[in-house]
Amino acid sequence: MIQLLDISKTYGAVQALKQAHMTVAPGRITALLGSNGSGKSTLIKILAGLVSPNTGQVLLDGQEVFIRSGNDAKALGIATAFQDLSLVPMMTVEENLLLGDEPTRLAGMLDQGSIRQTVASLLERFSLKCQPQDFVQTLPPSTQYMLEIAKAVHRRPRVLLLDEATAALHQDEIDVLFKILRQLRNEGVAIVFVTHRMHEVFELCDEAVILRSGETVKSGPVSDFSLDDLVYYMTGQRMQEAAAYEGLTHKAGQAPLLTARAISLPPRVKDITLEAYAGEIVGIGGLEGQGQSDFMRALLGASQIFSGQIHFDVAKAQFKQPADAIKAGIGFISGERNREAMFADRTIAENIFAGNTAKGRRFTFLKKSAVNRFANQAVDTYQIKVGRIQDAASTLSGGNQQKLVIARWIAMQPKLLLLDDPTKGVDIHSRLEIHQILRQCADDGMAVIISASDTDELMDIADRIYVFYEGMVSGMLEGENKTHEHLVACMMGVCHIQPERQEGGA
Amino acid sequence: MSTFADSINLSLRRFRRTPAFTGFILFVVALMLNIIMQGIASGRPLAFFQPRSYGSLLMANTPFILSAMAQSLLLIVGLLDISIGIQFALVNVVCIMVPQAFGVPVWVGWIAAIGASLIISAAIGACSAILRLPAMLVGYAFIFIIKGINVSIMPTPQGKVPRAFYKAYDSLVAGVIPVSLIVLAAVFGLWLILKRRPLGKHMYAVGGNPRNAFAAGINPVAVQMKANLIKGFIVGVGGICLTLMTASGNPLQAENYGLRSLIACILGGLGFGGWGSMACGMFGAWFFVLIQNTVYYFFSFLSKVVSGFSVSSYWQNFVSDVILLLGLLMTIITAKEQRNTLKEGFINQFKRGERIDP
Repeated sequence: MIQLLDISKTYGAVQALKQAHMTVAPGRITALLGSNGSGKSTLIKILAGLVSPNTGQVLLDGQEVFIRSGNDAKALGIATAFQDLSLVPMMTVEENLLLGDEPTRLAGMLDQGSIRQTVASLLERFSLKCQPQDFVQTLPPSTQYMLEIAKAVHRRPRVLLLDEATAALHQDEIDVLFKILRQLRNEGVAIVFVTHRMHEVFELCDEAVILRSGETVKSGPVSDFSLDDLVYYMTGQRMQEAAAYEGLTHKAGQAPLLTARAISLPPRVKDITLEAYAGEIVGIGGLEGQGQSDFMRALLGASQIFSGQIHFDVAKAQFKQPADAIKAGIGFISGERNREAMFADRTIAENIFAGNTAKGRRFTFLKKSAVNRFANQAVDTYQIKVGRIQDAASTLSGGNQQKLVIARWIAMQPKLLLLDDPTKGVDIHSRLEIHQILRQCADDGMAVIISASDTDELMDIADRIYVFYEGMVSGMLEGENKTHEHLVACMMGVCHIQPERQEGGA
Repeated sequence: MSTFADSINLSLRRFRRTPAFTGFILFVVALMLNIIMQGIASGRPLAFFQPRSYGSLLMANTPFILSAMAQSLLLIVGLLDISIGIQFALVNVVCIMVPQAFGVPVWVGWIAAIGASLIISAAIGACSAILRLPAMLVGYAFIFIIKGINVSIMPTPQGKVPRAFYKAYDSLVAGVIPVSLIVLAAVFGLWLILKRRPLGKHMYAVGGNPRNAFAAGINPVAVQMKANLIKGFIVGVGGICLTLMTASGNPLQAENYGLRSLIACILGGLGFGGWGSMACGMFGAWFFVLIQNTVYYFFSFLSKVVSGFSVSSYWQNFVSDVILLLGLLMTIITAKEQRNTLKEGFINQFKRGERIDP
């Protein structure tokens, strides 16, 4: 039994945890829930020994313990699968799985036989297809996440912490994982499971602990909660049924703002044809890795297409680099915040202003006050939770970082906004806010193309959905065709819906 | 039989994916060039294979090769040390002065010299690993600190080594194996043992991502300190080789090993942190040495066949430096194998859809 009592933690001006508490019992799977910025990851990092709390106690079987390093956590039987992974990308699968826990034989030499055996059985248990000698950086993201979990499970922990473990996994991998987690529960392991997917909570978890703004607002058996309750405790708001969207906004005879015809970009994009009109939100759906990201980057000029044609704003457009696309009026928001959107060590103000610098003249003098005014306005408009705008962007939570990136682009008023899975790992509340912002943009005449891994999200926000399957469009769903069943069928490539586009929409 | 061929094939493919492959190719190319050029210039095609010939090449360059091997350990754990060169001079100074000043046997001087090298390495390690000062600045500062120590111990070049010792270093075992090669092999053997111990894995983890290594229960500071101490030991051995090679003491020699060893490591395929191995440093250093040797033979050949041809040694350096630059470019090309692995990963991912398809 592990208990956290009255835990508080501040990062600079941001209070991540305010007297939060949580109890995890052996043989139970406890869902740790909360919107982004509610302090879930901080709580996990405290248990993992990566972050020290300012105040509060951690009790293990009633005894106070101090977890000051990964080594302390290991000694106490706590293992963690981190949201941002703790694998070393330049090391092999085998080395990563047993890192810090290598079996040795005489004279401290590594026991290669035992290593091979252990790794083989772990890979088999997790149904992983990779080789022990593969370098982790060469593996697809979902495999890396499975390895992260396998590494934690291998330590035979008493307490297993999984921080958004399923976010990047495919359904078949999730099935394998859930089976293993249930086995571990039966063996008496205490499991903490952080997720944004509510159905997983009901499917897997026994207990729920809900955080809001760093405080524990509710905890108890999952069976005591309804979906509505969970969302209410997480956000403080009851869910509202989103008003159904009626048809397309574009008018008869209107020319598309963007036409992409027979685009191919090996190996993932084979033949994609797509149109987007001003004032609509076009969704791109599909299983992960069906060419969505590559297609988006090709539109932006970040990678060059192999064949096909792109027309933007009437003119033929094949951008050599993203800067050209931005000048022409295209904005791009990536779900990979850290890699493609954030300057983590620069200030929040500079991050918001960054997009503007690509547009102005090279030697224009930038006044600090102008940058700050611009940033303050964006912070207010998009309700980004910041300490001070002069703080580093890395002090923000994931959801707020994403809002910051969105604010950056929308403030530039692009004609076309591309979003590649922008709400990945973003809580329901921030997600709804982002949706409202995007709808407002479309109403103001912007064309929005959004790819999303979450089918519910696509159904909610998109006017039309292009479903990608194996680098081709397996279906274009709009109007009556835009149903959950059709979407799933097209994602699996088992149905093809290609209605002829009629003047005036469906 | 076919399984044997398969396993050879597999290990070959695996070797092509290792970082040391780049350095190995460079080494082989440079070696061939050296053999050919030396053969042409001396008029005897197999001149290189004379034990005296490769023996003296090895003897003269063992200290530098050891400096690159020591540097590679630091690069693996995410550090570097440009003062490594002047540390060789420190070892040299202690080796000469301790027997001279205290009248103790030569081997006592050697042990004292290795001790001095370990102390300096611990101090440098403390600055970069514990105090987290930038390794480049620490190295730069220590160049002057060590120079000061060296000059205060030995104000001017002086001293000598008993003849029996330097003759032994310059000899051939069984008439074909240079003693210096045995020293190199012993140090490389140390590395092979290290690589097969948990510390070896931890060094890569700390260099690759200190935060994740820490999360896995590894103490990054301890690992970086250990790497510094092992480096110190190798520098001690290398400094003794330098002393036996020059058979005298000089407090301000070998400073350029610092930067040259770094370049050799990069040529050999080492990255800054968690990528590469000691073999990379070794092959890179060999490439360096063999190219310079080849260019020397090339110019002496030119001066033989073209009457009146003579150029300053600057031109020799210019040509060998251009070749080194080409070598650096080649490290980019041979990284292709790693890119291919990445692509395979993506293609596997792409094919997932087929599996789900009913």
